[in-house]
Amino acid sequence: MVDELLFFMEVVVGGLLAGTMYSLVALGFVLIFKASATFNFSQGAMVFFSVLAFCGFMQDFNIPFVLAFILAALLMVVVGLCTERLVLRPLMNASEDTVLMATIGLGYVLEGLAQAAWGVEVRRLDLGIGDFPVPWIADNLKLFISALDIFAGLVAALMIIGLFLLFKFTKIGLGLRAVADDAGAASSIGIPLKHIMLLVWSAAGVVALVAGCMWGARAGVQFALVDLALKALPVLIIGGFSSIPGAIVGGLIIGATEKVLEVYIGPFFGGAIEGWAPYVLAIFFLLYRPEGLFGEKIIRRV
Amino acid sequence: MSNSSANILDIKNIEVRYDDVILALHDVSLKVPKGKVVALLGANGAGKSTTLKAVSTMLASERGKVTNGSIEYDGNSINKQTPSQMVGLGMVQVLEGRRCFGHLTVEENIISGAYSRKLSKSDINQELEKIYTYFIRLKERRKSQAAFTSGGEQQMIAVARAMMAKPKMLLLDEPTMGLAPQLVAEIFNIVKELNTKEGVSILLAEQNTNVALKNSDYGYIIETGRVMLDGTAQSLLNDDKVKELYLGISKKGRKNFRDVLKEESLKKRSN
Repeated sequence: MVDELLFFMEVVVGGLLAGTMYSLVALGFVLIFKASATFNFSQGAMVFFSVLAFCGFMQDFNIPFVLAFILAALLMVVVGLCTERLVLRPLMNASEDTVLMATIGLGYVLEGLAQAAWGVEVRRLDLGIGDFPVPWIADNLKLFISALDIFAGLVAALMIIGLFLLFKFTKIGLGLRAVADDAGAASSIGIPLKHIMLLVWSAAGVVALVAGCMWGARAGVQFALVDLALKALPVLIIGGFSSIPGAIVGGLIIGATEKVLEVYIGPFFGGAIEGWAPYVLAIFFLLYRPEGLFGEKIIRRV
Repeated sequence: MSNSSANILDIKNIEVRYDDVILALHDVSLKVPKGKVVALLGANGAGKSTTLKAVSTMLASERGKVTNGSIEYDGNSINKQTPSQMVGLGMVQVLEGRRCFGHLTVEENIISGAYSRKLSKSDINQELEKIYTYFIRLKERRKSQAAFTSGGEQQMIAVARAMMAKPKMLLLDEPTMGLAPQLVAEIFNIVKELNTKEGVSILLAEQNTNVALKNSDYGYIIETGRVMLDGTAQSLLNDDKVKELYLGISKKGRKNFRDVLKEESLKKRSN
């Protein structure tokens, strides 16, 4: 009985921590959705692009870890800058659907650029933290929980605190929240939309880099990371597209339910329900609570 | 009004189109003398909001364009400005429908108006205190979320927010829409106070002709994108046509605008 309870705990805790990895990916979407009310289809490509560049800097140019990370983060700021200047500004007064299509195109450009610059092979990313159970927890609490999961959880928590402080206490954060509420009114009082766009796209780029590092360390830095971003979709539907806490809680819910369902109900379906169970959950949310748990308005797009 | 430098705003024969096709303004000319309150009156769809947006350069975000005529603000043409540049030059628009930032607190809303200015924290607090002397009600509610305040309070937030940008000129789009008469009076009192004490010139679009004219120096009446009538507020209040059509005071019962136009054209023909 105790063993069973422990096993259940292990499944839930493991799921929650794995969920923070989804949360990290979802965060990037939320940032951009807040400022431009657009689902950024290129977020997955940004994850792939950023982490591949990070690996490229380290492995091809032998740049030390920390410096390579900073360079990759700066590169993502440059990507944000170019996106604002070349894609968003010309489409400033275009409809949201047009911007949505543009993000799909942007995704292809980033995927292509990444592979042209750094090649197509799968790369190994070593963060110095193994993806295996932490011995101390295994011995004392009898729970097998991956060190990488715990690290991802900590990083996610730090990012959320950082973003919260940025939005709540800085001038540009106030500007972003104003734009998120009513972009027209924000520009009527002189908040320049282009600064805000630049901020969110750069921030989303850095968040993509962090998410990419976590996933890259687990599954290898490869093209499949692009599709991983799709897992953020049910997270966003559950948490709400415009809410940062929603992205976190949504990620945790998806992570925990998919693991619990996989372990306890999976066998009845022949296993491997992890892949689609979150989408079933998302459909129920779309039917009964389309704005998500923390969403600010009804989802119209996507 | 002959001296052009006495006008902070000078609109000459502008024509405005949306999507390059829909003609919203045919021919609108108006002047706002420095330090005065000018009312822009007319029914729904007459072109009041379009005129204001042409001035604040917010037309572009609605795919509108000034296709003819010129607008001069403070002696300079405003062809190529963006809305945030206009705010920097001291022209701020308070949009129709209040448009507060619902998830921000009242105070955050007001502070956001100072975004375009480079102010220190203590400067901002000083400005806030000054603004609160005009909007006493808002000071009491400053920690509430704006979405949960009343319509009148939201209108005050919108004006207070605009004042934080330290404007030389305010464009107010239907500030009393949907408000109870008592609140209408309160809003206009504040507007008058801002005008006299802070020296802000004001162009306000209103449907509430009576109250607007009583609180203005000069008035323009527009219909279907054209200025039909203009004059000092006093003369408009005493004008028979205005009385009949906009104030609902008539000796011979109510008439609509088409009937008047018909009469006028008949008169012209018989002449």
